[in-house]
Amino acid sequence: MNSMQESAAEGGRGNLRPGATGPEGETLIVQRLHRLLPAFKGRLHDKRTATVVGRWLGGAVLVCFVTGTVSHYVQHPSSWLIDILPSRPSWGYRLNQGLHVASGIAAIPLLFAKLWTVFPRLFEWPAVRNVWHGLERISVAALVATGVFQLFTGLLNTAQWYPWPFSFVPVHFAVSWLFIGALLLHIAVKLPVISSHWRRESAATLEIGDGADRRSFLYGVAVAVGAVTLTTAGQSFTPLRSLDLFAPRHPNYGPQGLPVNKTAVAAGADQVDLATWKLEVGGPQPFTLSLDELRALPQYEAELPIACVEGWSKSAKWRGVRVRDLLEQAGAPASSRVRVTSFQRGGAYRVMEMGRNYAEDPLTLLALELNGEPLHPDHGFPARIIAPNRPGVWQTKWVAKVEAL
Amino acid sequence: MRTVLGTLGVAGMALGVWRLLEVRDPLDVAVWLGGAVVLHDGIIVPVVLGIGLLVGGVRARGTVRGALIVAGSVTAVALPVLLRPGAAANPSVVPLNYLRNWLWMMALLGVFIAGATAVGWARARRR
Repeated sequence: MNSMQESAAEGGRGNLRPGATGPEGETLIVQRLHRLLPAFKGRLHDKRTATVVGRWLGGAVLVCFVTGTVSHYVQHPSSWLIDILPSRPSWGYRLNQGLHVASGIAAIPLLFAKLWTVFPRLFEWPAVRNVWHGLERISVAALVATGVFQLFTGLLNTAQWYPWPFSFVPVHFAVSWLFIGALLLHIAVKLPVISSHWRRESAATLEIGDGADRRSFLYGVAVAVGAVTLTTAGQSFTPLRSLDLFAPRHPNYGPQGLPVNKTAVAAGADQVDLATWKLEVGGPQPFTLSLDELRALPQYEAELPIACVEGWSKSAKWRGVRVRDLLEQAGAPASSRVRVTSFQRGGAYRVMEMGRNYAEDPLTLLALELNGEPLHPDHGFPARIIAPNRPGVWQTKWVAKVEAL
Repeated sequence: MRTVLGTLGVAGMALGVWRLLEVRDPLDVAVWLGGAVVLHDGIIVPVVLGIGLLVGGVRARGTVRGALIVAGSVTAVALPVLLRPGAAANPSVVPLNYLRNWLWMMALLGVFIAGATAVGWARARRR
């Protein structure tokens, strides 16, 4: 950015000098054409800078990919996976998803810095030297497209803004494989360049020079990563809440001090007639309970987070009946697979299944209270599920039925 | 090592393409993927390069450049909450006064840039 100078004139020092004599046999038109390409005389478009920023970016993308894949399978488990998913640590999903969104946000300045550094290579001449070079350039194009696409769609999704015509979840998941694949291929192709510029004292690094200027650029990028992280991470890492300036959520906002995704009104679940509402418990000996009867059962407390796939999360104190107690009362083993049905109107998450590890965990409650008060309608009054280590969408609200499968 | 990485990479890309073909309209996705490149290479980078040209000559260049990188990054991350159209699903979604926060952040960085430039200029004069 600093001494960056582009011009269509003959290039001076720099990575690329399109003005230099082209390969023999070029037609005049082609020569003219490539003289129109910009020449980059500026510094820091070099392999050492690309290696250092690429290392940071690679780390962020790897964390983002692994946590995203974990989240995908926790959110949409195959049937063989349902009973294997662990209910501990209780903060597992919260950490996973907080890291997913934070690493994605941190990758934004890093991707910009990386692409800026290597931008002159876009105008490489000759554009394609041979088949392998052509394939490599295609893989780089795929890498740029999928990288920008993933960070863009992911960031907009956290703000619940969907300007695109396709469905976010399957596309973000599919493109993540394209992205990580193109990245691994790129690392494989560039491995010799990366390793020869790995250290500050590497011979190839010393040959480039520009050490002080590069350090100052890298400090700038590092501070930018710190700034975007500090001003958004408070939406999940609550000690930083006072610095939360740009996250789509803030821990202080929401009924009973807890953010909400779907309100009772939006779910058509705001009118509950307690005279007729009964919890159905299914199993070998099915039974029903009124709210008063539920309150008369042994109550337990659990401090568990609501952790949304969009990255925000907050811990709260819940009080209610253990799901395993309900199962046993219905004559089913505590370690049953459970299906929970909400009386909400429609929605992809109205019916929820949870594996035996969750069902038998003593922290898994059919909660009646939140932070010492009856549940707010938006938090699932009269009763909701709260289980450890699960994504928020599966913490079913407005529960009508709990059945052992 | 390179062969293993490269093979894994090609396999990952193949899996991604295969998964993309299963979504409802892969063409829409292709258009948006291409659009991402056009947006980045065609608009964002030229703007950044232009700003870089202007910054090249200033005193305390490294500090000013760092502050501009921070300003650009914060703005990019804040754009969705700043520009998002339509009403939020409920009051706990995008609850903050993001425009005010962003203006404060830019003002802070502006003061910082002005200070760094002034210090750089004064130092150069004393010499």
